[in-house]
Amino acid sequence: MGKKELKVASLLALRSLQRGSRSSVVLTVLIIGMCFTNMIFLPSLFNGIGQSITKQIVDYEVSNVIVSPKSGNQYITDLDATLDLINGMPGVQRASPHYSKGATFHFRQRTLGVNVRAIAPTDEKEVSPVYTKMIAGSYLGEGDTGEVIIGRPIAGDAAVRQEDEFQESLGGVRVGDSVTIEYGNGYTKEYRVKGIYETGWSPVDSAAYVSWTDMEQVEGSALYKADLITVKAKPGYSEQFIKNELLAYGVGVNGKVQTTGDLLSKSMGRALQSFAIINMVSLIVSIIITTVVLFIVITIKTLNSRKQIGVLKAIGVDKEVIMHNYGFQVIILGILGIVLGIIITLVLAMYLAYHPIVTPEWSATMYLTPLDLLINSVILFIAALIAGYVPAYQISREDIQTAMRA
Amino acid sequence: MIEIRDLTKIYRMGDVQVNALDGLSLAIEKGEFLGIMGASGSGKTTLLHMLGLLDVPTSGKIVIDDTDILALTDYEKTMFRLYRLGYVFQDYALVPDLTVMENVSLPAMLRKDRTEEQTQNDSYGILRKFGLYDRRDHLPRELSGGQQQRVSIARAMVNKPDILFADEPCANLDSENSKVVLDLFREINEDLQQTIVMVSHEDWHKDYFHRIIQLKDGKVVAA
Repeated sequence: MGKKELKVASLLALRSLQRGSRSSVVLTVLIIGMCFTNMIFLPSLFNGIGQSITKQIVDYEVSNVIVSPKSGNQYITDLDATLDLINGMPGVQRASPHYSKGATFHFRQRTLGVNVRAIAPTDEKEVSPVYTKMIAGSYLGEGDTGEVIIGRPIAGDAAVRQEDEFQESLGGVRVGDSVTIEYGNGYTKEYRVKGIYETGWSPVDSAAYVSWTDMEQVEGSALYKADLITVKAKPGYSEQFIKNELLAYGVGVNGKVQTTGDLLSKSMGRALQSFAIINMVSLIVSIIITTVVLFIVITIKTLNSRKQIGVLKAIGVDKEVIMHNYGFQVIILGILGIVLGIIITLVLAMYLAYHPIVTPEWSATMYLTPLDLLINSVILFIAALIAGYVPAYQISREDIQTAMRA
Repeated sequence: MIEIRDLTKIYRMGDVQVNALDGLSLAIEKGEFLGIMGASGSGKTTLLHMLGLLDVPTSGKIVIDDTDILALTDYEKTMFRLYRLGYVFQDYALVPDLTVMENVSLPAMLRKDRTEEQTQNDSYGILRKFGLYDRRDHLPRELSGGQQQRVSIARAMVNKPDILFADEPCANLDSENSKVVLDLFREINEDLQQTIVMVSHEDWHKDYFHRIIQLKDGKVVAA
């Protein structure tokens, strides 16, 4: 195929699309665009959900690396030494200890079971952004005693009747109110609500935080143990690097070291696997639909043009030119469809960025990278090429007499 | 010069065998305006298709200027049609999505020995000669039957072929337009010494031909 042949093939293709059936062109482009959107929408939404859950787990639960008690142990002991060791390691931004205790909250006539987490506020602020999620009052300070911060679902809403509540609450606690907390060990104390926060991550919003100093009063002694230690990595340091460092420095002797990725692969592994299967099914269905639609469109086009194909061959147009004529039509339709699909996808992504899908557990937007767009575009383009060239190849090989008699 | 020797074309439809051409031999001189006439089913169009390389005979030989055209490869036949033959169809057979100019220049665009400028000049030249220049940007459906047939002839002539084949080019035209087309063929033949082989069944067309061959049952019965 020389330059002249390609020029004639592209001229025939362009003119056929320009001056042929407009509705057929619009419909075909629309179908390809929709297939592209279908190919990319669900996977990117699932990715978005995965990213959202991961981010919330990192931000509010475990940070980058978590050190938990070894199997059979309830606590990480020798806490001060362990924290000093971790905080002195390269790549570690800060380590924050957590100590949890079950408690019952009493406010007016309401009673609610809540998990109270003791934190060192200064350390915790370097590890978790909960302090940025205060919707009323302020965050805990180092050495605060008799003060508690609670999640919004615990505080509740005074305007909602108890029987109408989706989740049990204290029925409208406000900053400055006093709540009585009765701990599992029988220790009972009056607390002032210092702040109310809302992160959107249910396990954290359903908890309450007190200072480490306060918990020492509850326990009646200095606390040299923790349920877990969350470790924040400095920018540029990977979770795996931090984990390896912690293990190398012997933190693994005293506790179990896991990255967020380790935890997610265990807890979310099956969900991610299901997402991957749904993504694959969605991708395959879209490719099949696009391939079949383009195959039908080009087959109908070629069958309707058999006489014309015969005439073109009769006047000296080579079969390669005729085949590429239809091939170019598919290329143009494919490109237009993919561009339309990218536009629809970006509009959907922008809409979801402003109006994310929110559930009590997570909020999600579409997670879309240029590479995703490129890969899906290439896959769809190749499918379109095959779908177009197969009937074009078949019809271009037909002998002149058979074609002209059609 | 065209030399046809013992040309046979047999169509088989189930058990039925039809001899469309039955050992036909013929010679056509350069510059000749030859009319092929005969009743329907006599083999006129089949013969023209064989000469125009649109179909292959069951047996026989066709030699055009010392080239055994039936021995050519598929690609060589395509190039032979492009460079050396012109074909005018009964139903014009223009590409409906191309303008008059694009239809006419299409075969010229494929020639490797012509520049883009030469192609354009050739196309404009032939459109002017055939009185179609003002209609160059029109689509075929915007033209009358006579005009469409003139575009078809212009397309066949744009590459200055050695032989022009015309398969009942006036079949879809009224007598006035038929005369215009036949006059055009005569003019091309006389001015350019163009060899023309035309199939017709109209008696009054005989006046335009230098020579007429009558076919019956795939054989020449009068020449």
